[in-house]
Amino acid sequence: MALRNGITSMLRQAAIVKQHCPASRLSTTTTMHLDANNNDLATLNKTRLDTTEGKSLNEIGLGPMDRTKDFDTRIELDVQDDLTSFNGVPKEHTKGRTVRIYVPARNQMQSATNNSHLWKLDFDVRERWENPLIGWASTGDPLSNMQLNFKSKESAIAFAQKNGWEFVVEEPQPAWQYKHKSYGYNFSWNKRTRVSTK
Amino acid sequence: MLRNASRLHACLNGSTSPIASTGCLQEGLVAVRHQATQAATPPKDAKPQKTKFGPLKDQDRIFTNLYGRHDWKLKGAMARGDWYKTKEILLKGHEWILSEVKKSGLRGRGGAGFPSGMKWSFMNKPSDGRPKYLVVNADEGEPGTCKDREIMRHDPHKLVEGCLIAGRAMHARAAYIYIRGEFYNEAVNLQIAVNEAYKAGLIGENACGSGYDFDVFVFRGAGAYICGEETALIESLEGKQGKPRLKPPFPADIGVFGCPTTVANVETVAVAPAICRRGGDWFHSFGRERNSGTKLFCISGHVNTPVTVEEEMSIPLKELIERHAGGVIGGWDNLLGIIPGGSSVPVLPKSICETVLMDFDALQAVQSGLGTAAIIVMNKQADIIKCIARLSEFYKHESCGQCTPCREGCGWLNKIMWRFVEGNARPEEIDMIWELSKQIEGHTICALGDAAAWPVQGLIRHFRPVIEERMAQFAAKNKKTASEKKGTDRVAIAQ
Amino acid sequence: MFHPGGVHGARHIAQSLHHVKNAIRGTCSSKLLMQQKAAAAVAVESKKGTVTPPPTGPAPTAPAAPNSVEVYIDDKMVMVEPGTTVLQAAALAGVEIPRFCYHDRLSIAGNCRMCLVEVEKSVKPVASCAMPVMKGMRVKTNSPMTRKAREGVMEFLLMNHPLDCPICDQGGECDLQDQSMMFGSDRSRFTDIKFDGKRAVEDKNIGPLIKTIMNRCIHCTRCIRFGSEVAGVDDLGTTGRGNEMQVGTYVEKLFASELSGNVIDLCPVGALTSKPYAFTYRPWELRKHESVDVMDGLGSAILVNSRGGEIIRILPRVHEGINEEWISDKTRFVYDGLKRQRLTQPMLKNSQGLLEPVDWEDALSGIAARINRVPGQEMAALVGGLCDVEALTALKDLMNRLGCETLCTEESFPMNAAGTDLRSNYLLNTKITGVEEADLVLLIGTNIRFEAPVLNARIRKAYLHNNLRIASIGERVDLRYETDFLGDSVHVLAQLADGDHKYSEILSKAKKPMIIVGSSSLQHGDGTAVLANAIVLADSLRSKMSSNGDESDWKVLNVLHRHANQVGALDLGYKAGPSAIKQMQPKVLFMMGADDGVVQRRDLAGDAFVIYQGHHGDKGAEMADAVLPGAAYTEKYATYVNTEGRAQRGNVAVTPPGMAREDWKILRALSEFVRGSSVLPYDSLDEVRKRLAEIAPHLTRYGQVEDANYFRQSKDLVWNAARPGHSGQTLPAQQRELEDFYMTNTISRASRTMAKCVTAARHQKSTRYGL
Repeated sequence: MALRNGITSMLRQAAIVKQHCPASRLSTTTTMHLDANNNDLATLNKTRLDTTEGKSLNEIGLGPMDRTKDFDTRIELDVQDDLTSFNGVPKEHTKGRTVRIYVPARNQMQSATNNSHLWKLDFDVRERWENPLIGWASTGDPLSNMQLNFKSKESAIAFAQKNGWEFVVEEPQPAWQYKHKSYGYNFSWNKRTRVSTK
Repeated sequence: MLRNASRLHACLNGSTSPIASTGCLQEGLVAVRHQATQAATPPKDAKPQKTKFGPLKDQDRIFTNLYGRHDWKLKGAMARGDWYKTKEILLKGHEWILSEVKKSGLRGRGGAGFPSGMKWSFMNKPSDGRPKYLVVNADEGEPGTCKDREIMRHDPHKLVEGCLIAGRAMHARAAYIYIRGEFYNEAVNLQIAVNEAYKAGLIGENACGSGYDFDVFVFRGAGAYICGEETALIESLEGKQGKPRLKPPFPADIGVFGCPTTVANVETVAVAPAICRRGGDWFHSFGRERNSGTKLFCISGHVNTPVTVEEEMSIPLKELIERHAGGVIGGWDNLLGIIPGGSSVPVLPKSICETVLMDFDALQAVQSGLGTAAIIVMNKQADIIKCIARLSEFYKHESCGQCTPCREGCGWLNKIMWRFVEGNARPEEIDMIWELSKQIEGHTICALGDAAAWPVQGLIRHFRPVIEERMAQFAAKNKKTASEKKGTDRVAIAQ
Repeated sequence: MFHPGGVHGARHIAQSLHHVKNAIRGTCSSKLLMQQKAAAAVAVESKKGTVTPPPTGPAPTAPAAPNSVEVYIDDKMVMVEPGTTVLQAAALAGVEIPRFCYHDRLSIAGNCRMCLVEVEKSVKPVASCAMPVMKGMRVKTNSPMTRKAREGVMEFLLMNHPLDCPICDQGGECDLQDQSMMFGSDRSRFTDIKFDGKRAVEDKNIGPLIKTIMNRCIHCTRCIRFGSEVAGVDDLGTTGRGNEMQVGTYVEKLFASELSGNVIDLCPVGALTSKPYAFTYRPWELRKHESVDVMDGLGSAILVNSRGGEIIRILPRVHEGINEEWISDKTRFVYDGLKRQRLTQPMLKNSQGLLEPVDWEDALSGIAARINRVPGQEMAALVGGLCDVEALTALKDLMNRLGCETLCTEESFPMNAAGTDLRSNYLLNTKITGVEEADLVLLIGTNIRFEAPVLNARIRKAYLHNNLRIASIGERVDLRYETDFLGDSVHVLAQLADGDHKYSEILSKAKKPMIIVGSSSLQHGDGTAVLANAIVLADSLRSKMSSNGDESDWKVLNVLHRHANQVGALDLGYKAGPSAIKQMQPKVLFMMGADDGVVQRRDLAGDAFVIYQGHHGDKGAEMADAVLPGAAYTEKYATYVNTEGRAQRGNVAVTPPGMAREDWKILRALSEFVRGSSVLPYDSLDEVRKRLAEIAPHLTRYGQVEDANYFRQSKDLVWNAARPGHSGQTLPAQQRELEDFYMTNTISRASRTMAKCVTAARHQKSTRYGL
């Protein structure tokens, strides 16, 4: 996370970041843009504290969370260059690394699906071992602890290409099909869906 | 409280045949006609609104063997007018029966008070090949209620005949009478009555010679209060655990064995023949508008002569108790509160009991309910908190455990209520329990959650000072101990 | 770029980036601005496009119904089919309603009350999971009434739920935890904790796989519904009522299902957790690797969780085409077998005839020395069912270069008529999803319940919901649904093929019949007759369908394989069955993952040199002169072709233990040592896969099923050849009872968990409750 923030700030200052701000704002510097955002946040907080009475949940910011917004603010680069020549990453982590780009599976232990609405990029697995000193898991691979989330497959591919990584794209399987369900089926008189135990 | 069977029998004859023998019947008919014409005119007119309800005249009683003084078998029942011209009623067709029941304004006697005519007419959708069933809810488990068992043991033929007529009205193939497991003698009597009726050709194939096939089965439950809830009853009837179903689908769509079903209370079904015979208007002439008919009231608790009695709807509560139950023990002034409709409705304090009428709307207006009309009287000897705590315990015990608010909530209410009995709680907890009961009410699959919540709500609504006083007493008693200990809120543990 | 250099480093790099960019583009700021604007325009464009639904997840595709009704979810209109539940309609509108008891693949229970929502004009909140929508219904999923209802339900659920999250294995992936954070109150009012405490429920022992902590149960009944609906085992149920209601097995017994582990996933709290996984790690400590299962022929989608070079647990992934979201217990719990009996070092037999650990170079050169002395015609290779396509390709290329053409699989297949030459002969042609369309399934010589549990679950689903009719030929087994038992030998099948069996009429009336032939029945003495008759029967059913004007190209014939990559091996041209090897008595036998013991020493030449490459020390390694430690399925990037002919990629979760290596790499290295021009022309996985695409392009079309369609030709070949006779013996089920299910391959045989399951199943059989 911290790493990603680092990259974010880096890219923001490189002024090649496109965010979902009005086009007119683009003429100002990115720094100002960020400030503006901060101001918005400050006013928002103020609103929350002062005048919550008589307002809808949405107005005081407690309404349904629109998570797609989160994605809109993620970084998108408009360059196709290969950064490997000057980004300083050791050769062993640019050449010969394969990344896998995929839509993560929902955690089957839970009902909610929020973490499966994005594209993930992770690296080929290298050896990990248990550190004999205190039993922590160790690895010699600095990239293994990095997982990047993307809004779209294309941006993930572009990112991989820029960094000189081979990539494998795993297309998501067809989504769950709507199936008609009815509580009445449990008591149906001529179907095997009749429930016997409870 | 005269139960003159022969006289009433004569009356009955009079209503359906030209041989009018007694004057009282004539009066009755005139009254009915009068009211019918009144109803046709706009209500603005100075219609002599009925203002006096009850006492019910003997000739207007439907359940003429409520106390078992006469023969309950077929012979005796026929002597009292049961099974009289049932064939003719059947042959008039379901439309006619339905219209009579609708005209009568009969509302379900099981507690919810849904208009029976409308409920039965839901069954008249065109058949999709599935048979239809009538299920009679004879799982009378509501504490304080003892009306259906009187019908079943002393007048079972009223029920059997009612099954046939109600079944005809809804094109039912058969009726299942789900009788409470504890009602052994009642089940025996009922089964004998069913057997007699089969033997006499009154039910079964070509029932009463009407060409209509109708079977009646008696099914004994295993004694769970929840099985009196209609969908739980259906589940139980199907051989599963008696756990209520969600609605929709309503039983009229998917009921017992997946077929359209109507579940009706014993009393509702048992009055149907009388309504058909004497006419819906006759039945409608009793009680206030929208609360018409006669009703069995079960009066128990601190009264001199606890009784189950048939009375006119909308009879004042006070009059009902004074007239039939010999008054409150220690006199009316000794009254503390009354639960007017079985354990699941909120308790009423004396001030309200003075004036309230015993019908659906009047009791609803005072935030209680008619329920099954089981009047539980408590005089000042009673510890009202303990009474309600006992009810909470009952609901905790009888919750089926299927849905969360009831399963967890009833247990919680029970725990708190018993602490309230001791006073071992803080006054804030009264508000909390109120809120908890609101969290249960309306969030459950069936009405048991509501039923568990209402007595507690009634208690808090009317007897909050009593609870607070109890807490103050407890706190005072334990003050010394509490001050010695430091954690003031752990009073009980210190005890 | 990824140096954790902090702000300074990042800024430095960023500045240099800026400069470089300017230099490259020869730009001034205004030009840059223009580019930015253009990009912004693109961004806006693409944002317009982002209203498309997220890539996956529950958001199901909207049902296309002409008579759909409009429903407003939080004032957003959706058109849905009448009868849709409010919860489903909300999902279509992109609103997830919290739930505990509702599950997409189970029947509706409506008992947790968490999904209560406000519906306009309704006094009470309604349970959205069971409530069908009505025209113009306005649902408010976030109104104060809804929120209050949820908060109330949450409070009640937590009232008797123990506060043992710190020691609960569900912690971190618990629906109750998450939903109480999201929808619950921020403090407890349960003052009675000071007086009575919470409900205490005795834990149940339901077997070696599932740990129960019944205090935590919230009575959602998902496990019960799973048991009775999906697994078809009515073992679970409730006893008692009210607050004393308990979920359990009525009597203390094993939850005797091959799919039992799925209740661990289904349980929204920590009442049912995994026994082998108990108290090991927190879910957030685990690394997740999406992969493919190899325990049966289906190739279920799995999620392998690892930590520090060790597999910690295996969970299912949703794959609508294969396993929906269930996996068998073998798939889920076999992972401890990956830590035992492993081959971690190359070994060579020394002069005393004992296997001795050597390093890779010695091993390979030692092997090469032996191989180089033998002409290719006297060599053979035998592969097992767990070998991946990459390794099979490398092996085949290597052996072919050495002049060897005898490459066989352990699993045999009838070679009369078309045999394995026509792909349609050995695939599950209708695909797994075909079960849902079919109206009649004829199972031949397979105990599909244990050979492909997940497919059996799907058949059971179709049995429940589509009134699927199932007939079976072969040894009578309990499939957990009703079947029309036709007979136990191929004799009945022959009658059906000739159309003179009393069931023929029912078969011919079926609109979409499926014939599923178990691969074990094909290895039976009557195997050739089974296949021939099945082909003829399938053809006659097909021609009947087409004569009835059915244009759907419904493929009737299906073969169900029991091994993960048998189809892949056959696709690559491996010969099915070891008969060729037994015939030729090779001097060098290269065994790769061949552990079923179908070839013994006595089948080989007297001084034959046997090389075993694989991951477990089992029957194969026992008879080998040289052992090369390979990687198991969780340790290699590998392709598997399932019984439908669907190529799928497995991914690395952990690296192979010790000196073990990915199999194709071992063969590539060996090719450097052996004679002449045998060096394999690929150095990376990518190149291997390019080679795969050359041999058979479908092997790299991942996730897709490659159809096969030569049924008519296949039938003609059968017809032209003499109809094979048959002995009429019972077609035996190889896995007859639950205890036979758990140990079927080299990994599961090494697993202690599986051994415990076998013990438990045997014990259960001996109790008076039986299985």
